[in-house]
Amino acid sequence: MKYVAERGIAPLWEAKTGHYVTLLAKAVAILGGLVLVTIGLITVVSIIGRELLILGLGPIPGDFEIVEMGCAFAIFSFLPWCQLKSGHAAVDIFANFLGNRFNAFLTLLWDVVMAFASAVLFWRLFVGMTEKQSYEETTLILQIPLWVGYAAGISVMSVLLITCLYSVWRSINQLASVERNDR
Amino acid sequence: MTGLELAILVFVLMLLAIFLRLPIGLAMLMAGGLGTWYVSGSLIPVLSTLKSTTYETFSSYSLSVVPLFLLMGQFATKGGMSGALFKAASVFLGHRRGGIAIAAVGACAGFGAICGSSLATAATMANVALPEMRKHNYSGELAAGCLAAGGTLGILIPPSVILVIYAVLTEQNIIKMFTAAIVPGILAALGYMLTIAIYVRLKPDAAPKMDKVEKSEKWQAILHVWPVAAIFFLVIGGIYLGLFTPTEGAAVGALGVGFLAWKAGNLGWEALKECLLSTAVSSAMIFFIILGAALFNTFLAFTQTPMLAADWVSSMNVSPWLVLTVMLVSYLLMGCIMDSVSMILLTVPVFFPIITGLDFGLSVEETAIWFGVLVLIVVETGLITPPVGLNIFIIRSIATDISLKQCYKGVIPFIASDTVRVLLLVALPVLTLGLNRLMF
Repeated sequence: MKYVAERGIAPLWEAKTGHYVTLLAKAVAILGGLVLVTIGLITVVSIIGRELLILGLGPIPGDFEIVEMGCAFAIFSFLPWCQLKSGHAAVDIFANFLGNRFNAFLTLLWDVVMAFASAVLFWRLFVGMTEKQSYEETTLILQIPLWVGYAAGISVMSVLLITCLYSVWRSINQLASVERNDR
Repeated sequence: MTGLELAILVFVLMLLAIFLRLPIGLAMLMAGGLGTWYVSGSLIPVLSTLKSTTYETFSSYSLSVVPLFLLMGQFATKGGMSGALFKAASVFLGHRRGGIAIAAVGACAGFGAICGSSLATAATMANVALPEMRKHNYSGELAAGCLAAGGTLGILIPPSVILVIYAVLTEQNIIKMFTAAIVPGILAALGYMLTIAIYVRLKPDAAPKMDKVEKSEKWQAILHVWPVAAIFFLVIGGIYLGLFTPTEGAAVGALGVGFLAWKAGNLGWEALKECLLSTAVSSAMIFFIILGAALFNTFLAFTQTPMLAADWVSSMNVSPWLVLTVMLVSYLLMGCIMDSVSMILLTVPVFFPIITGLDFGLSVEETAIWFGVLVLIVVETGLITPPVGLNIFIIRSIATDISLKQCYKGVIPFIASDTVRVLLLVALPVLTLGLNRLMF
């Protein structure tokens, strides 16, 4: 069901916003992917160092801490793109019988729930970060402050929040554009 | 209302929402949050859990293997390795009756060794093998059936993303899980090949006979696939021998396959971007469900459901084998409408304590490993069972000249083969556990 919305709240602005939100989400996802490739590289370099101990080389100290932080950032940055591409696993076999109008309504409803959930996650992540800051928790070996990982996550979670809010807007307009005789 | 009743009520409501297309991860997140709120009578437990769960889930070292394996699968898909694998397999197997289909299954198994996703394996191999089968007048049923089934080898043969998730969820050793999946994976590939051989004997016009190939061609074909084999043995061998952790193995594999793809001229910036974006969608999907499951499991723990359910089942004094059968059949049914990751994360927290509490004449750890492999197989069979066999849809979208009805007809012999294999593995746990007993 792909509509270019003709009605609803400022459909023209919605389309324009959609363009930029897509660009933003895509850029963030690619950035996350590059981070994933980078932690792969770091890991491989570390393995080579470990295997060549005789030559005076060694593993990168605390490499797994970098992997953990990088992986977390990558996953956070993948979320907006997944949301925008409707990539989340769902069961749509039953809804297929329910007609376009009802489906457009469901899309809107679940987009609102998703926006709510991501707002709560964003908020709690922020609180989590301030706690890590006040306890001055760090990773074991590299002594990287844990809040840095949280902060990186939060920065891309804001993109998820934007994406979710935009999804709600888009769904409202799509619902408004679905004609009754479409079903 | 007791905790168990509440858990059942929440579960049913959640399922209803899921059937109305609420994304499964989100459904578990909401159900877990609201349920915990209700049980504890305050929002504090939910809110304080959420402060750290998200980051801790996403930064879990044992789960970091997942996006790396997915990336490796993407590189493999783009890298043109599927073509070389199929070529090699058909040089050796192609001259028999139904040989191209058998070769396609063999190539799927090879591809599954560097790709942990069934959908990607089915799609990639279909792109290579379908035109070839159609060119040689293979019937649509056979072509679609063998590729849809062959695709499931992507996840049966290690590395397997689903097994990683199961291992993390049930706190099992990933390496032992991978080891346990080897023999069943090989049995699956052989079973599918046997199925094709029988099928074409019963229906000779489904696949015409072909000419034998020259010896020199064989060597050339091997020359083309050895890098793929080398990477597989490096990754899996390295993990088994304890040279590196699964995450490190996945990193080596992803970069290795990426390098091969780049060397073959298939991985420029545009292709890399595509790989990263596909990895993004599937990783985010999986981790979001894992996050939802984390919160949902908090709720289940509050209501003590897993423990109560295990007690309840063992107090019924029914045969453990009956319980196992009911569970496996329910996976098969759920598999008709749901994807595998969601199914595992929805059910294993409750099923696992039940199963490990029953006596199958195995140790708890062995029961856990054995059950994991069985679940993996039935869940994957779900990918080829109508009406929502995802692999079938993938094949359909590539082979537009084969009707959905033909696809469904084509997979039936392979579902039969799966069924036989599950029965065999249920009856003989040693098939799954033997390698582990030898190695550890």
